[in-house]
Amino acid sequence: MGYVSHKIANNFFTSAILLFLVQVVVGIIAALQFVWPDFFILNFNTIRTLHVNALVVWLLLGFMGASYYVIVEESETELWSIPLAQFQFWATILTVGLVVIGYIIMGFYPQANITVFGTLLLNEGREYIEAPRWADILIVVSVLLFLLNTAMTAWKTKKFTDVQGVLIAGNLFLALMYLPGVFYTKNMIMDQFWWWWVIHLWVEGAWELIAAALLAFSLHKLLGADRTMLAKWMYIEVGLVMFTGILGLGHHYYWIGTPAYWLWIGGIFSALEPVPLVLMVWDSFRTTRYATKPVENKVGLFYTISHVVFNFVGAGLWGVFHTLPQVNKYTHGTQITTAHGHIAFYGVYALLVLAMIYIALPTLRGVKQFNQSRGYVAFWWMTISMIFITFSLTGAGLVQSYLERVMGLDYVMVKSAYNQYFWIFRAIFGAGFLVGALIFVKDFFTAWKEPLAKAS
Amino acid sequence: MSKKTAKNFFIYGSLFFFLVLVLLTIDTMIQVPKRAPAITAEIDAGKKVWHKYDCIGCHTIMGNGSYFAPDMTNVAGRKPKDFLKKFILDPRAINPKAAMPKLGLTEKEADNLMAFLEWTSQVDTNKWPPKPVLAMARKEASSGQVIYQKQNCAACHIIAGIGGTAGPDLTRIGPKWKAEELTRYLKNPASVKTASAMPGFAHLSEQELKDLSDYLLTLQ
Repeated sequence: MGYVSHKIANNFFTSAILLFLVQVVVGIIAALQFVWPDFFILNFNTIRTLHVNALVVWLLLGFMGASYYVIVEESETELWSIPLAQFQFWATILTVGLVVIGYIIMGFYPQANITVFGTLLLNEGREYIEAPRWADILIVVSVLLFLLNTAMTAWKTKKFTDVQGVLIAGNLFLALMYLPGVFYTKNMIMDQFWWWWVIHLWVEGAWELIAAALLAFSLHKLLGADRTMLAKWMYIEVGLVMFTGILGLGHHYYWIGTPAYWLWIGGIFSALEPVPLVLMVWDSFRTTRYATKPVENKVGLFYTISHVVFNFVGAGLWGVFHTLPQVNKYTHGTQITTAHGHIAFYGVYALLVLAMIYIALPTLRGVKQFNQSRGYVAFWWMTISMIFITFSLTGAGLVQSYLERVMGLDYVMVKSAYNQYFWIFRAIFGAGFLVGALIFVKDFFTAWKEPLAKAS
Repeated sequence: MSKKTAKNFFIYGSLFFFLVLVLLTIDTMIQVPKRAPAITAEIDAGKKVWHKYDCIGCHTIMGNGSYFAPDMTNVAGRKPKDFLKKFILDPRAINPKAAMPKLGLTEKEADNLMAFLEWTSQVDTNKWPPKPVLAMARKEASSGQVIYQKQNCAACHIIAGIGGTAGPDLTRIGPKWKAEELTRYLKNPASVKTASAMPGFAHLSEQELKDLSDYLLTLQ
């Protein structure tokens, strides 16, 4: 308690949830553009770039906040260098701000995206990693400073815990897997091949390591469950995540021009990817029975368990539905993927960062207890909305797969005529999600100041 | 299982699978150049145009992208090249209902982009996208209908819900045209409507052109 270093975690969490709000707002604009393409001053591509980049960046900021918080708690010492962490925070925010300004300029003047020193100045035109080369370099430097600071903090005390180890390994893997996406390749097949190394090995590799470490930390912190038992299961889970996830990468190599053996490799390994996710659900429910103290931060535990459940539903179920090549042949490149993307990112990573924020909140605010009632309201607004967004997109995807891929109707026909209602539903539930996100943000800033809810 | 065993299981297992991935990657890098035509300077310049205008912000290619606009993998195989180029340069001049904005590509950029899309349409994608059922179903057809299918008119035109939206819907086109004028239009569209982006079908014989226009005139 009471480490000055926790100010750093607070900075990262604050910026993360503000960016989360930006992501949701531009998401609603993008949803409306499916119905009225010209409804906003910026075109869909700019809005969509902002939507997915805001997602990636707020989650990374959230992971960094969570890592700074967890490393300090686990090591029971201040960070190796607080000024360095402050510098890293503000440098990251500045870089992100400049990149966003660049996207918006390009949105108004596409010609402004000129080539400088052989690379595009404002937008590299590659989904999720649109950030230009100069920003790539700054991002890598930022992540290296973050890694140095957290690793040196753990090193300083010579008290290496299992959670620290997996957390730092996850962050290191994350940093390394950014590199395959930095370089230009002439061949579009190899371009997409390396691009998937970044995207897939992040979300189904490095980020899952971070998630498993944070889960073990949270269950220990909230329940007082035995560290050795938690660590053992954490290793088994991340082991299985890596065994299935690394070669599960093959499910992105079915149709991009890569050799046909990827159909077998991708099909087999990605069909196994839900296994560790089921294990995590079982493990975390089981662990709640081994609590050694009464749970004070109930809302933190609620978000943690919800994250585990929706990790399985979003990444596991909605992923495995369309992961076999026989199915994926028809669903690839349709709204089925969008549906999977929404529920998976929400369940696996958004809920994880939000859970970490609630777990850290009493420490960050220097209180023992806080009014937890609003956290549940935010959860249900967001979760019910996201479930219906997912259903809308899944419906649109089924209609699209059938009419476009099976029957041979034109893409534009299907989108503008047959799927119109799905877009409208999606936008309405997007607004519902915004309500939930706003309640969460208000809670983050005010919950600790309010009188505690009456015990029921 | 002890914690130590679990830890070793994680570390050595992950390293093993990562090594397998690296080996498969090396093999893929060797095989990929054989699965598509050689890349010329023009194709590479076209790929850069694709990135410069953030095309993937709306479209998909090889099925990856933003799902807001049609997939571009084999668009060069589906649509006439002249039409595509005119459309890319100014979409709404060709199709007022198009959602795509005018991005301001130069003639040269459009040519390079066409070369790039021509290249992607020849990549061996393990037979993706699948051939739709309706496109493969064949039934008794008039000679005009057969020409309509063989010339792939449905790439751009709709009849009774089936076909592309790049050109006008032909479902009830019959009463709007006179036979002689339609035949002339099919042969050389610009001679009837100067702004038309449709390619001419002068390579068809007079009889084929007549059969095709007879078929279109029956659509009411």
